[in-house]
Amino acid sequence: MTPGKPVLSYSYYPGCSLHASAKEYDESTRELFRVLKIGLKEVPDWCCCGATPAHNVDELLSLALCAKNLVLAEQVEGDVAVACASCFSRLKTAQHRLGEDEEKRRQVEYAIESPFDKSKPIKHLLEILAEDFGLEQLAAAVKKPLTGLKVACYYGCLLTRPPGVPELDCVEAPTIMERVIGAVGAETVEWTHRLECCGANFTLSRPGVVIKLAGDILASAREAGADCVMVACPLCHGNLDMRQQEIEEVTGRRFALPIFYMTQLLGLAAGVPSTRLGLDSMIVDPLPLLKKKNLL
Amino acid sequence: MSRIGVFVCHCGENISRTVDVERVAEAARGLFGVAYATDYKYMCSDPGQTLLKKAVVEHNLDGVVVAACSPRMHEKTFRKAVQSVGLNPYLCEMANIREHCSWVHEDREEATAKAIDIATMLVERVRRNKQLAPITVPVTKRALVIGGGIAGIQAALDIADCGHQVVLVEREPSIGGHMAQLSETFPTLDCSQCILTPKMVDVANHPNITLHTYSEIEQVDGYIGNFAVKIRKKARSVDMSKCTGCGVCVSKCPQKKIPNAFDRNLGTRSAIYVPFPQAVPNTPVIDRENCTWFQSGKCGVCAKVCGPGAIDYTQQDEFIVESVGAIIVATGFKLYDISEKPKGSPIKGYGEFGHGKIPDVIDGLTFERLASASGPTGGKILRPSDGKEPKAVVFIQCVGSRAREKGISYCSKICCMYTAKHTMLYKHKVHDGQAYVFFMDARTPGKGYDEFWRRSIEQEEAVYIRGMVSRLYQKGDKVVVMGSDIAVGIQVEIEADLVVLATAVQPREGADLLAQKLGISYDQYHFYSEAHAKLRPVECATAGIYLAGACQGPKDIPDSVSQASAAAAKVLTLFSKEQLEREPIVATVNEHLCVGCLACKKVCPYGAVEEKELRDRQGNLLKTVAWVNPGVCAGCGTCQATCPSKSVELDGYTDEQIIAQIEAL
Repeated sequence: MTPGKPVLSYSYYPGCSLHASAKEYDESTRELFRVLKIGLKEVPDWCCCGATPAHNVDELLSLALCAKNLVLAEQVEGDVAVACASCFSRLKTAQHRLGEDEEKRRQVEYAIESPFDKSKPIKHLLEILAEDFGLEQLAAAVKKPLTGLKVACYYGCLLTRPPGVPELDCVEAPTIMERVIGAVGAETVEWTHRLECCGANFTLSRPGVVIKLAGDILASAREAGADCVMVACPLCHGNLDMRQQEIEEVTGRRFALPIFYMTQLLGLAAGVPSTRLGLDSMIVDPLPLLKKKNLL
Repeated sequence: MSRIGVFVCHCGENISRTVDVERVAEAARGLFGVAYATDYKYMCSDPGQTLLKKAVVEHNLDGVVVAACSPRMHEKTFRKAVQSVGLNPYLCEMANIREHCSWVHEDREEATAKAIDIATMLVERVRRNKQLAPITVPVTKRALVIGGGIAGIQAALDIADCGHQVVLVEREPSIGGHMAQLSETFPTLDCSQCILTPKMVDVANHPNITLHTYSEIEQVDGYIGNFAVKIRKKARSVDMSKCTGCGVCVSKCPQKKIPNAFDRNLGTRSAIYVPFPQAVPNTPVIDRENCTWFQSGKCGVCAKVCGPGAIDYTQQDEFIVESVGAIIVATGFKLYDISEKPKGSPIKGYGEFGHGKIPDVIDGLTFERLASASGPTGGKILRPSDGKEPKAVVFIQCVGSRAREKGISYCSKICCMYTAKHTMLYKHKVHDGQAYVFFMDARTPGKGYDEFWRRSIEQEEAVYIRGMVSRLYQKGDKVVVMGSDIAVGIQVEIEADLVVLATAVQPREGADLLAQKLGISYDQYHFYSEAHAKLRPVECATAGIYLAGACQGPKDIPDSVSQASAAAAKVLTLFSKEQLEREPIVATVNEHLCVGCLACKKVCPYGAVEEKELRDRQGNLLKTVAWVNPGVCAGCGTCQATCPSKSVELDGYTDEQIIAQIEAL
């Protein structure tokens, strides 16, 4: 009897966006993991990671919120799986900070009334797919290769930065998204704005900033000949997708670039029915593109 | 019964602040064998030493303990003092109550008790000290200089001009180093080659200099005054004694498409080549990896066209051994490159700058070749991608330097100045061009340096932008530079035709391996370590080995030349003596006890232990024992600790002395 490969299973922290504005990211993640037979169990009673607001006003608050969630995540077996780039960044930052600062760790433990163990690995979905599951396995699971689809992989600011914290891939020239989507047959384009900021939270307070920054990103993807953009962050998605029409109006350029979550495209390739990937909640309609490429 | 004097120093307040020095002297007075004890504010001062000398004479002392600072600080001072009044210097010892006590403790009571203990231990030790005499070893008055850049050249010429023989070893086919690649030099803008090549020729013609180019150090044995250095002379495939340097072979070689490393791969060269026109020696070398003859056995054109028949395809690497008394290491630097580094490497690349894949993003040395009259463009500033003249050039400083997140925290020192120079050279050649410089700080401490930098801004109209660049990317035929101007607080985007990176200065590759062969130390970046940062900046901790130039840390030409002359002066000081005196703290073998197991020989890191045969008068072998060569022994004591029969002792640190010290506690 040969011992089988251990069954992968994760303690899933979806974060607030995935239960609200980025529901399709959550839905497609669960569906993708289901067909890949990777276990995904939601952390019970999780709360917000603090995102951008918390660490802007109070470092202790931002660390304590993350620590609280990491303690809760221990109730579920397996490494912590995170989909949202911002949650990923906050959780990794907290783990990093509390690992190096004994005093902070004691303060946080007092605040959350629980001991904090920094040993449980926190992994982004990309890491799980590229390393734990493996690119070969992923390629083998493909039912409908994304042949002919030109994808611009967009990392944004947080997936790889700051240096030494997320340790997902090379900080300034990562390739993990390209490797993952390339494994399911898509063609990736080389483009210049893969790691530029989309304007993030300024979308509410100073939308003009977002129009400029997200506009540059979309223009760059278009120039590189991409059919669509793939993201791993709800906020990036919002800025590139929801703001796209407005950007087109302001700049007078037409982009018509569907903005996919990575799990939507991977799910499509792995044979998840297209009705269960939340494609209908995207603002820039992806159906014409997918039909044209024979992917529906 | 000994008559020992104990002299307790206040060291101003350094010691007396935490240690009750009077009580230490008082306690010492009560020790067995102590005839005299006192304390004084500065024992090392002239009156302090006089006090000590007087006490030795008046109290007829036969041993001295100075309870003060570390022996590394003043052991020599006090040993000299006691010697001047007729006492053997090795009967004087330091009890370190400063570094080992007052500086590291706060509680006065405890510190005083500890100081008394330390002094007591040293008294016990001095009671058992023997009179020792310095060991003399002969000095080979011949120096080895490793590296033929400007530092090595200067050091070699200085020593040779004083009448001593110098062996100069250079890894490349020609001497000259990086300075030969530069166009003009700051802060005077004089032509680099014009001031360098006369010195190169002087080296070649000097009767006292033996030059080994295209050669590397294989092995280093021996010690100060007596090194034996094995040198590998790589096969040149050209017989230097026959070659006239006519250059026909180079011009006829059909293989001409090899990237020319001297021109930073901008131009090409042939398989048989002289790296640059002013090369010394002006003898070509065959690059066997790219030579058709060596790769496929066909061609042979160079051999056919060579009049004197100097081409020799059968030449093999040759090994020679040179005996020298001193070594100067001047192996220079290389420039950091921004390409992708292996995962886990402490030095990171610059993905945000395209990992070196954008053709019009070059480094400073490449720009030097573009600006040089002897360079691949004949001195015209033309960019690599399409040979067009760039009208907007962005210079970025501190690439890799002062960048902890990239693995290098030090300042490379030369970049602010050479970037200012680059903006000038550019403006002198492209009058309608605009130079931009992204910088963190402008560091211009040097004679005429700040004036030079100001000139680049005020006269040559370079635009300096304080801030760093976050990304470079190709857009059409432009390179977009995204950066910040922190003085104004805005983001800046410049569409440049050419980008020049002032990349960090790093030691040459293999610097660590050479250090291991020489037995010298180096820092985390592989720069060689000097013996003392301020007071012994050109000496290695290993006796007889000296440092010059950028192998010790980033340096410009004036600094490299100064250090080279300083290293040469140190070598000449050594050569001024016929015999070299060495500390007699060496191991000796008790031949009666030694059983000849030679465990000591196996553990000796210096190769100082030899076998010795003991024979009777008829010549019959009685037994084999170990013998320690006092000229080689460094007094580390490893053999003493290893010897199973306790028959090796280190003079001045015998087992008896050490046990007595422990028992005194």
